[in-house]
Amino acid sequence: MATGVAFWRERNVIHLVCEEINMIKNEIIARNPLINLGYGNEYILNDGGLGAVLAHAGVGKTALLVQVALHAMTHEQPVLHVSLNDAVSKVDIWYRELFHDIAGKYDSADMRGFWERTLVYRFIMTFKVEGFSAPRLEERLTDLMQQNIFKPHTVIIDGLRFDESGRGLLMELKEMAARYAMRIWFTVHTHRHEPPQKDGIPLSFRHVADLFDVLVELKAHGPQIDIKPIKGQSADAKKDAIQLDPTTMLIKG
Amino acid sequence: MKFDDQKIRNIGISAHIDSGKTTLSERILFYTKRIHAIHDVKGKDGVGATMDSMALEKERGITIASAATYCEWKGYEINVIDTPGHVDFTIEVERSMRVLDGAILVLCSVGGVQSQSITVDQQMKRYKVPSIAFINKCDRTGANPFRVIEQLRAKLGHNAVAMQIPIGLETNLQGVVDLVAMKAVYFDGDSGENVRTEEIPAELLADAQAKREKLIDAASLFSDELTEAILEEKEIDPEMLYAAIRKGTLKREITPVFMGSAYKNKGVQPMLDGVTCLLPAPSDVENIALDMDRDEQPVVLSTDPSKPIVSLAFKLEDGQYGQLTYIRVYEGTIAKGSTIVNVRNGRKVKVGRVVRMHADQMEDVEELKAGYIGALFGIECASGDTFVSPGVNMTMTSMYVPAPVISLAIVPKDNKAQMAMAKALNRFTKEDPTFKTHVDPETNETIIEGMGELHLDIYVERMKREYSAEVTTGNPRVAYRETITQRADFNYTHRKQTGGAGQYGRIAGYIEPVTDAEFVFENQIFGGAIPTQYIPACEKGFKESMAKGPKLEFPITGVKVVIDDGAAHAVDSSDMAFQAAARGAFREAYLRAKPVVHEPIMKVVVETPTEFQGSVMGLINQRRGIIIGTQDEGLQCVVEAQVPLAEMFGYSTVLRSATQGKAQFTMEFAMYRQVPQSVAEKIALEASQKKTSVA
Repeated sequence: MATGVAFWRERNVIHLVCEEINMIKNEIIARNPLINLGYGNEYILNDGGLGAVLAHAGVGKTALLVQVALHAMTHEQPVLHVSLNDAVSKVDIWYRELFHDIAGKYDSADMRGFWERTLVYRFIMTFKVEGFSAPRLEERLTDLMQQNIFKPHTVIIDGLRFDESGRGLLMELKEMAARYAMRIWFTVHTHRHEPPQKDGIPLSFRHVADLFDVLVELKAHGPQIDIKPIKGQSADAKKDAIQLDPTTMLIKG
Repeated sequence: MKFDDQKIRNIGISAHIDSGKTTLSERILFYTKRIHAIHDVKGKDGVGATMDSMALEKERGITIASAATYCEWKGYEINVIDTPGHVDFTIEVERSMRVLDGAILVLCSVGGVQSQSITVDQQMKRYKVPSIAFINKCDRTGANPFRVIEQLRAKLGHNAVAMQIPIGLETNLQGVVDLVAMKAVYFDGDSGENVRTEEIPAELLADAQAKREKLIDAASLFSDELTEAILEEKEIDPEMLYAAIRKGTLKREITPVFMGSAYKNKGVQPMLDGVTCLLPAPSDVENIALDMDRDEQPVVLSTDPSKPIVSLAFKLEDGQYGQLTYIRVYEGTIAKGSTIVNVRNGRKVKVGRVVRMHADQMEDVEELKAGYIGALFGIECASGDTFVSPGVNMTMTSMYVPAPVISLAIVPKDNKAQMAMAKALNRFTKEDPTFKTHVDPETNETIIEGMGELHLDIYVERMKREYSAEVTTGNPRVAYRETITQRADFNYTHRKQTGGAGQYGRIAGYIEPVTDAEFVFENQIFGGAIPTQYIPACEKGFKESMAKGPKLEFPITGVKVVIDDGAAHAVDSSDMAFQAAARGAFREAYLRAKPVVHEPIMKVVVETPTEFQGSVMGLINQRRGIIIGTQDEGLQCVVEAQVPLAEMFGYSTVLRSATQGKAQFTMEFAMYRQVPQSVAEKIALEASQKKTSVA
C-alpha cells in the first residue's frame, strides 16, 4: 500500500489503526473520477448549483453519483438520495457495495463502525415517477428540517425523465436548491438513437442544459468506460477523458 | 409397487400480518369440505376462525402457533400449515418452511409487498420453497393487483406472472378471468361455493389476451414444446401451458400469481387448482439428511415408503391428551406400533397413536407414509429432533434459530403459581427454541428471553390462561453485550499458598477483537512453558470469563485470546490453578482492551398514510433511530429505520396515538451496534445500582 501508514492485520483480527479512516477518506477522493476531472470546488457544485451525469442506460450513472454522495457523507455532509426507480433497499445496496469496494481491503471492525457513523449522513427517499414534483419534495424536506432530523448538503435525484418533464420542474428545483443552500445532482438517461451534438449535449436535454452548472458524460467503449467533462470545468483543467473501472466506476487503481 | 406421491401437496400459507392468511385457510377448509360453515377471524358470531384454535389467537385476531390441517381437493391430498404473520413468531414460519414443499404467498392488493412479506420471502429462499402468490383483498378500496405484481418483481425479485385478471375491482369485484383456459370464472352461492365459467366479457378480452401473451412468453422459457407451438402458431392447450409454468415454479424461476378476495369468497378455488397443478409433490423436492456415520455426508432422501424411516419433529404441542408431536416423514412409513429412534439421544420409542391434524381436532390414522405430515402422541422429544428406524443414523439439517434479543424477569405470586410456572416454562421452551428461560443466580429471579415484546407478552398470558400461573413481570431488559476494541497484553501469575497443596500457574499472551466469532482461543506456546495437559484448563478459564464482563456484567463476545508464554510448577500446578490464572489474566487485560457495550438494533418498518410521515419520522428520531429511507407510494408511505431495541418499548401505543391508529409497524432484529457514550454511562449507572440492590 502506498500510504506508508503503520498497518498490519491477520485474518479476522483487528489491530486498531485509526489512520485507516483517514486513508479511506483519501481513497474516496483519490479514486473519485468527478473530483479528478478538475472542478475547482471540493464538492464540485456550489450552493444552489445543479449538476448532471449523462449516459446511456446501464453505463453507471447511479454508481458515479453514489461516489459523489460517499465523498460528502464521509466528510460529514448530509446527502439526500431521491430515487424515482428503485426501492430503498436497492439504493442502500448501491452504497454498501461501493463502500465495500473501497474499504474491502481494510476489512476491519473499524470500517464497520465508520460505515455506521457515516450512514447517519444519508437519507433515501423514493417516489413513483408520476408522484414526484418539486412541491412534494419540498414538503418532505420541510418535515425533516423542521424537526431537525436531516438537512441535506447534497441532493441526488436519480431517474428523472428529462425528455418528459419540462423546464418548469428543473427551475423549481434550482430555486429550491438555492433556498436551502443545497446542490443537486441528476442522472440523465440519454438515448442511443440520438446523434451526439457538437458540444456533447444531447438534443433531448438541450432545453434545460443552461440551468446546469456542471455536466459530465459517461461513455462505454467496449469493456472500457470513459468519463468526460462537458460543462463547468475551470479553464486550466485537463480536457481528456478519464478511464474508469467498469465494475466499481472508480478510477482504475 | 412404487408409491405414487404425485397427489400429495404439503403447503404453507405465509404473508405479512393482516393479509388475510387465516381467512384464506378458512375458505380452503370450507371449499374442500373439511368444515361446513365459515367463521371469520374477528367475526360477529364470536366463534373465530377454525385455524386459530388457541383462545388467545381468537381474542387478538392473530395467529400465534401454526396449526396443521389436511384436506382434499379434486383427488389431491393437501396438508396445509397456517403460519403466524407477526415477526416475533418467526420461528414458527421457519419451522413450517423446513417441512413444506411449496407455499402460497398471500399479499394484500392494497398494501402490496410489505415488510413481513420480504422476511417471509427470504425464508422461502433459504429453504428453496417454490411458491405461488395470491393477491387477496381485491374487494378493498384502492385494490390494484398489477401494482402488487410489479412490487413482487421490483422488491422481491420474483419473475411474477399473472395467471388471472380480475373482473371488476374494489366493491365491483365479480370474479376472475383465467388466462390459461381463457374463461371468465364467477363464484355463486352464499359462500361462493358454486364456480361458474362463462365467456370473457368483451371489454376485458383485449387485456386478457395481452396478459395471456405475457404468461405464455414467460412460460416458454421452461418448455421447448411450448416454444415450438408458439413458433408454429399452434393452439396452446392448457395442459402444455400448465406443465411449462410448473417447471418454472419448481425451479423458483417463475411465480404464478392468482387473485381474488377470500373474505368475499372469490378466487379461492382457482388458487386451489393452482396448488395442485403448479406446486411440487414431495418427490419433486430434494430433501437432504446428514449421515452421522459418514462424517455428516449429505444424503438425498427418496420419498420411498418402503425404505427405513427418516422423519423430522417440527412442532410440539401439549394438549389435553399429552404431548402432540407434529412430524414430517421424508422416507419410510411411520405406523402404529413401529419403533423409531430419536437421533439426538439414541432413545428408542414405540409409536402409539398416529393422527392427522385438523386445527385442534384430530383423526386417527394407521400410518404416515413418506411425504406426509401428521402427528404422534406420547413421544418425548424437543422440536427439531430427527426420528429414524433403528440402525439408521441420519439427521435432518438443523433449522436456523435466531438468538433472543429481549428478556423479562417474572415472579410467581405464590407457591402454587411457582409450580404452574415451572411446568409452563418447561413446555414453552420445548415448543419454541427462540423462547429461553434461566434463573438469575444473583437476584434469584426467573428470566424469560425471546424475540420481542409481543413474543414474551403472549407467553406470560398463556402461562396465566393455560396453567393458571399468576406472575408479575418486571421491565423488559435488552440483551446488551460487551466487546473489546483493542489489543491488550497480559502476564498473570496465580499463586496461592495457604496450607495444604499450593496453587501455581502463570499465563502470558494477549487478547484482541475478532469480528466474526464469539470467542477464539489460540495456543502459541512452543517448548512447553505451560504443559499441554493444562491448555484446556486455560481455555476453559478464559471462556468462563466471557460469560460476564467484570464491570457491567453483560456477556462478552468477539474476543480472541492468544497465549504465548507461561510457567507451571511440578507440584502446585493443576487444572484449577490454570483456570484461575486464565480468569485473572482476562480480568487484567480486559479493561485495558477498551471494552464497549453493544446493543441490539431493530429494523423497523412503519407503513403510514402520507399525512403522518412527518410525525412518524419524528418519533423514530426521538428514539435514537436512523431513518434509512422513505418510500412514497401515493396515499401511503413506508418509513424504514434502524432503532435500538431499548427505545422501542411502548412504541406501538405512541405510534397509534400519533397516527390516529392508521399506521402499523413491524420490527425484527438487524444487528448489534455500539451504544453511544451517554447511553453507555446510563447503562453503567443502572448496572451499579442493580449490584448495590442485590448486595
